[in-house]
Amino acid sequence: MSHRSPYALAATFLCLSAATLLSAQSERGDYMPRNLGALSQPAPRRAQTDDAKYSIGSYPYFWPEFPEGEGRDMVTGYCNACHSPRYILMQPPLSRDQWAAEVTKMVKTYGMDIPQDTQAVILDYLDAHFTPETRKH
Amino acid sequence: MAAISRRRLLETLSAGVTSVAFAPLLAARAAAAAQQGAAEHLPPFTGPDANPYWSSVGPVVTYPQKYPLILLTDRPVQLETPRHYFLSPFTPNGAFYVRWHLQGIPSTVDLAEWRLEVSGNVERPLKFSLPELLAKFPSTSIAAVNQCSGNSRSYLQPRVPGGQWGNGAMGNALWTGMRLRDVLRAAGVRPGSVQVQFQGMDEGPGPEGLGSHSFLKSLDLTNPVIEECLLAYEMNGEPLPLLNGFPLRVVVPGYFGTYWVKALTSIRVLDKPDENFWMKSAYRIPDTARGSTTPEAVKAGNVKTIPIGRMPVRSFIITPEPDEKIPAGLPLTLRGIAFSGSGRVTKVEVSADNGHTWAAAHLGEDYGPYSFRTWEFPWTADHRGMHTLAVRATDEKGNLQPDEPVWNPGGYLWNRIERQKITVGAAQ
Repeated sequence: MSHRSPYALAATFLCLSAATLLSAQSERGDYMPRNLGALSQPAPRRAQTDDAKYSIGSYPYFWPEFPEGEGRDMVTGYCNACHSPRYILMQPPLSRDQWAAEVTKMVKTYGMDIPQDTQAVILDYLDAHFTPETRKH
Repeated sequence: MAAISRRRLLETLSAGVTSVAFAPLLAARAAAAAQQGAAEHLPPFTGPDANPYWSSVGPVVTYPQKYPLILLTDRPVQLETPRHYFLSPFTPNGAFYVRWHLQGIPSTVDLAEWRLEVSGNVERPLKFSLPELLAKFPSTSIAAVNQCSGNSRSYLQPRVPGGQWGNGAMGNALWTGMRLRDVLRAAGVRPGSVQVQFQGMDEGPGPEGLGSHSFLKSLDLTNPVIEECLLAYEMNGEPLPLLNGFPLRVVVPGYFGTYWVKALTSIRVLDKPDENFWMKSAYRIPDTARGSTTPEAVKAGNVKTIPIGRMPVRSFIITPEPDEKIPAGLPLTLRGIAFSGSGRVTKVEVSADNGHTWAAAHLGEDYGPYSFRTWEFPWTADHRGMHTLAVRATDEKGNLQPDEPVWNPGGYLWNRIERQKITVGAAQ
């Protein structure tokens, strides 16, 4: 057929339009550039030896970001002696009194040697960044 | 076709014409998506309100012998099991949660050096290599839930410091090992003994005698649970992952995970009650109904505490998850698990109306009194809108999950009825 009737053309056009309108309801092909949340796969571990040593190598460890401010290095430095400073970031916002109790626990209960004036600096930093009123990160 | 108005048709046509402006549009969309992308990940912390999510909010991480899990802390290692793993009654070893107390945790165990030592107030102090243990004592298996004392701590109000676990600091495994009582009998517990103390390979940099140096846990010798304890060298038919206590860990069926000492090296029989930090100060609960108290009572200093023990009855909705949308009228199956530290779960009830009415769910296979028990509940939402599902379990001792929250300063024993909001959409 070399000539289409104008009616057939109009019908085709309407069908295409209907498809376009329908696709506004049920969408297809909607891709957006976005953070994939990708997690790289760990490589297989190196070949095992057949001795009595059961090993998984070293544990991964990372240095979390802390808000800038006076006392930051004291906090991360002293806390890091026994545990990752991430322990602080994991907590919900705590009151100054609760943070004071935590610092006291580390010194009195767990035996961490922190000079009195440094304890005050540490508490001020925690108060300045990790209470319900101050926590942003 | 007749329904398509001339104006809509013109709009459609003009949309085609404006497609020449697609490139800048895409750029604008990308910028919007970048912001949106950020919002689609969980916030780095929750509080001071209760954690609104089922799990804790840390990043997903990969560790040796482990599937991707949720990070609480990296040193010492604390990892939470994501929700979907609880669809099955047994939690895969690779998905099993991890909780250590001190940074010096084993990453290599040399079995040429490793020994289990039985000492203290015994007739015959003993020392066993792993093959010696296997040869000397018969093995048995038990399905048992290991749940961290602080599981669900992030739901307490007001919030308390500590590991901010969601609900995934728990797992169920088939544990295989020798009976603790057989090992104790071989050593001969002397008269006047009161407790048995466990110690593993983990150690901290703190001064000797403090909790930051060693992690020690003890059980009363008169506690009937002693008869049920295993020293497990296998979980789910495989050696334990190092992070879960290779080569041997204590299994205390029905009890919170704090007693399940990992990478066990020492069993000590004590003639005096254990007064070390991990018994005397940590892991203690108020001596009240459900171990609940108030911040005011704690402040006033009149809360008597006892060591934490058996796990209260709990149940969970695992699927559907809140980000699912269910078409009205479509029959579906709600699924979850239940368990109790006091024995078999005998009943699980589901409510589709926020706890006003309840109906019994079908229970899955019974793997023993201390195992997860799966449940299923066929349900059809008859109208669109937000629906609040709830689940509660009853154990063989008649303990029914209550709907009141729990609060204590340690953040232990949470077992309130769980709820799950889901959206039901129009079906046509």
